Amino acid sequence: MATSTTPAQPSVSRPEWTTIIDPVLQKELEQHVLVTSWDQLLGMVDTVYNWGRRSSLWPLGFGLACCAIEMICTASSRFDIARFGAEVFRGSPRQADVMIVSGTVTKTMMPMIARLYDQMPEPKYVISMGACATGGGPFKEGYNVVSGIDKYLPVDVYVPGCPPTPQALLNGLIMLQKKIDGEKLDVTLPVLGHVRKGNTSWYSENVERDIPVPVLGPDLIDLRLVEVSAERTAQGLIEAREETLAKPAIIAAPKTDAAEAALEAEEAAAAVAKGGKPPKKAKRAVAQPTLVWLGEEGLNALAGRLDAEFGAGTATIIQAGLLIPAEKLVAVAYYLRDRNPIKYDYLASLQSVHYEDCIEVNYQLDSTLDPGKVITLRARTSAVECEGELPTLSSVWRGADFQEREVYDMMGVKFAGHPELKRILMWDGFAYWPLRKDYLEPYYEGPTKVFDSRVEEGFGRHFRSEELNPHGTNMKIPKDYKDWDKLSSGDDTKGKTLMPTGVDISELDTDQFIVSMGPQHPSTHGVFRMNLRVDGETIVGLKPVMGYMHRNHEKIGERNTYLMNFPFTDRLDYLTSMGNNFGYALAVEQLMGDEAKVPERAEYIRVIMAELTRVASHMWSIGFLLNDLGAFFTPALYAIEERELILDLFEWAAGSRMMCNYYRFGGVAFDLPKGWIERCRGVVNDRLDGKIDELDRYLTANEIVLDRCRGVGVITREEAINYSTAGPVLRASGVNYDIRRAAPYGIYDRFNFDVITAEHGDVYDRYLVRLREMRESVKILKQAVADIPDGPILPGKKSYQIKVPAGEAYSRVENPKGELGYYVVSDGSPTAYRYHVRSPSFINLTALERMCLGYTVADVVGILGSLDIVLGEVDR
Amino acid sequence: MNLGQGLIIGHWVTLRRFLLTFWRDIKDGKGLHRRGGGTQILDFWSGRMPRGQEPTVRQDSTTEGLFTVEYPDERLPVYERFRVLPMLVYDTEDGNVRCTSCNICAKVCPPQCIWMTQAKGPKGNVVPLPEEFFIDMDVCMNCGMCSEYCPFDAIKMDHNFELSNYERHQTHIFDLQDLLVSSEFYAQTHPEAWETAEQITERGKVSKKKDQRLQKALAASKPAAPASSQPAASKA
Repeated sequence: MATSTTPAQPSVSRPEWTTIIDPVLQKELEQHVLVTSWDQLLGMVDTVYNWGRRSSLWPLGFGLACCAIEMICTASSRFDIARFGAEVFRGSPRQADVMIVSGTVTKTMMPMIARLYDQMPEPKYVISMGACATGGGPFKEGYNVVSGIDKYLPVDVYVPGCPPTPQALLNGLIMLQKKIDGEKLDVTLPVLGHVRKGNTSWYSENVERDIPVPVLGPDLIDLRLVEVSAERTAQGLIEAREETLAKPAIIAAPKTDAAEAALEAEEAAAAVAKGGKPPKKAKRAVAQPTLVWLGEEGLNALAGRLDAEFGAGTATIIQAGLLIPAEKLVAVAYYLRDRNPIKYDYLASLQSVHYEDCIEVNYQLDSTLDPGKVITLRARTSAVECEGELPTLSSVWRGADFQEREVYDMMGVKFAGHPELKRILMWDGFAYWPLRKDYLEPYYEGPTKVFDSRVEEGFGRHFRSEELNPHGTNMKIPKDYKDWDKLSSGDDTKGKTLMPTGVDISELDTDQFIVSMGPQHPSTHGVFRMNLRVDGETIVGLKPVMGYMHRNHEKIGERNTYLMNFPFTDRLDYLTSMGNNFGYALAVEQLMGDEAKVPERAEYIRVIMAELTRVASHMWSIGFLLNDLGAFFTPALYAIEERELILDLFEWAAGSRMMCNYYRFGGVAFDLPKGWIERCRGVVNDRLDGKIDELDRYLTANEIVLDRCRGVGVITREEAINYSTAGPVLRASGVNYDIRRAAPYGIYDRFNFDVITAEHGDVYDRYLVRLREMRESVKILKQAVADIPDGPILPGKKSYQIKVPAGEAYSRVENPKGELGYYVVSDGSPTAYRYHVRSPSFINLTALERMCLGYTVADVVGILGSLDIVLGEVDR
Repeated sequence: MNLGQGLIIGHWVTLRRFLLTFWRDIKDGKGLHRRGGGTQILDFWSGRMPRGQEPTVRQDSTTEGLFTVEYPDERLPVYERFRVLPMLVYDTEDGNVRCTSCNICAKVCPPQCIWMTQAKGPKGNVVPLPEEFFIDMDVCMNCGMCSEYCPFDAIKMDHNFELSNYERHQTHIFDLQDLLVSSEFYAQTHPEAWETAEQITERGKVSKKKDQRLQKALAASKPAAPASSQPAASKA
């Protein structure tokens, strides 16, 4: 700036100067004097002004998905975003300068993001963090994903990566600072008549940078494009395109062994009659609901008992599951829960499959008194869209509540008698039933990956999915949709149908009112929303509103080959990717049988990784529980220090801090690198105990923690079971139920550890269970790192072609959040026919209202913190 | 009465931590040095290493506490398996692109972010080289499957995470020229993998096999096939 950049001009007279200066003198001046023109002077002001602004960028405290975790880590002690003056994460958009869009932008969330952006004052900046926010990322093909935040907001800096590491985010922040450094303001100096045009879009009078809030109609509709959308929809372009595409296969529902055999014989006879050979018998997996279950004899006896009780034909055994006619379902459920010798008091999971001839809803049941005796119930109903109806079982097992709503949302099956049958992940008014096999998404390309366009002649060039869709964006609207003019930005389509009814509290003479908390709220652990009805401060009704992070994991999972799905499971509960991998590997290994027998060393590695994950996740959970109780960030910083060292271990072995993608069918992806196990021993033996003791010392007897947590959010033992809660939530209510003991998987039966339980079922006990569980995990880790043998890590040669026999499997692992289950139906093809995730975070939320009634709003935050939900897993 | 004690204890815990950081600095003589090995505490004007050579800071189980790594002047060590975006390796000695466009990376790519076409000779015969190769980094999930299952050691995961920019529609689609790196570069970033016995023998086998196939293709189609000679290295 000190030297001039405009040499050798013939005239040096300046309009603002009256005296004409000798050109030589002018040159001399410009060499030694900093400021020789108004522009230069203003430039210096700009410099100071920009320096001030760029060094105090206040981000909006707003996290969407996995990337948000890395964003929080960026603010933690190791990376310390405070060095850039950006540590002041504001809860309110009105105080924020920069919006870090950290994670997948879903259609359900998009109106909220637009609203937040509009509420931020100028000047405002947007950092698009991660592949998802930038362009849809791996979830781009999903039906509920906005493929790039730049479709709605002006983005200043893109930070690629999935997820970007904290250092990468800092790099993005530096880029934004550089951008701010180059900004010039519009300046008018009235006295001197000097006008300078700046380069900032926001600093002029008539600028309108607000964006219209998009509307959740039959799909997410951008109001700026509503006419074009209406026109293209009326032309039926989407339907026309879909007719040219290959559709997903749809198979017949499994039959009884006898019927199956008869059918096969018939087919063989038909083939022989035509003069061909009888078709080869397809390989089938062993029929079992899950690895540890009741067993064939027990199931036969149970079917007999049911037939005796409710008349012949009540229970038909199909592929080791009991098919129950819909009209007898409720009676059978009550019988199993209350009168059967093994009391099936725990509904582990519930999911639906769309077959050719029916939609099947199946229920995995277990008994907390006599664990490990899992059975599957099947109930079937019409496969025609919106015609299927089954009786609700939410009166028998309350845990069925949200899961039935999910089945309704995804398949369109109605549940008669359900207290509140509304869409749960999508919004009421969404035009389709997305998990039905006949639903094709807006960016649909083919029934299974690999898409032809990628590898064969295809297009021969790169294209964006947007080019496929007639709307040019991830949108699909039925041709006959007419209500275009009724769309309004003010509608809260997602939340308005879920208003808590509540009960009166007579002694408080106040009016009740409704508070919508979330989805952008610092203490909802992501984009979770609760509609609260409060009477004064007291909660009298609560309805969770979710789906703001619904990124179509299951639909995409049904197009992925089995191997491809591993990295997607990482992104379910992004704090515990190793545990998610474990569960998924087990599900497919169950189908593969002996072909995927895990070698000894790999078994140890799997346990070590899973337990390290548990410690890291519980540390995070405890730290952020304190956050929710009001001790903002300091306890969390202390708690997640050790997590960083564990993440280092993951990065070293698997290549990524969070998205490990480390397990493979029959083993793990790579052997441990040299020196890994030594450092792991160092962390496990020398550090973790001390750190857990530190947390224990600071928190367990802390009077504030005691005061805020004891007796708050109580759920009794019976309720905890009935609501299908899992993991620390269930155990804190005194139920000794841990999958590692109840239905051992891997080599957990070899380790010496205790299942931690507590009695009161309040927030404090849930904290305590987590703390003590970490000690047990360290105990397991110490045994595992001492005993780990040498040897291979995979049963055979590594191959990307995985052959999975037809059949169905349900795997269960004890993840830090609770029972994580994967339900997989295979038809023998390279992709799963049906893929469902039993998500502990989602199902634990069923009990949230029960826990919160009668407490205050401030307690709700703590109770939610004690449930330890992760939105990637809640909404999938 | 111990009312309010918890509050005082809480403050004491953080205060002690705060003071301890100074004490440790003095004790270790680190007060005037960066942890990563910089010379002075005020190295704003001098002593900064050029980009890419910043000191790395190790933190392991013996580290007391967990101190701040002052990115961008210091960095965390990059582990060899660390993965960001894929890159394509060509051999430094002969300039041959290792990729034979066998499509396996595209077949295992979970979000389907790889597009490629195989090179064709003038007579329409197949040449084992990629004609075009695109990776859309707005779709890539950095999972590393492509490099894990590549039979020719051709696609590897890059370590460069400093990819932030202001624009996405032109710059976020990496084509062949953006993706190519030399085997020398790969050997630098992945020294352990480069030195393993399997990779050395594999390299021998692969180059032989590729050479044969290439010769065959060349023989079938004179003049020579495109893209085989001297690819411009964007990152080497």
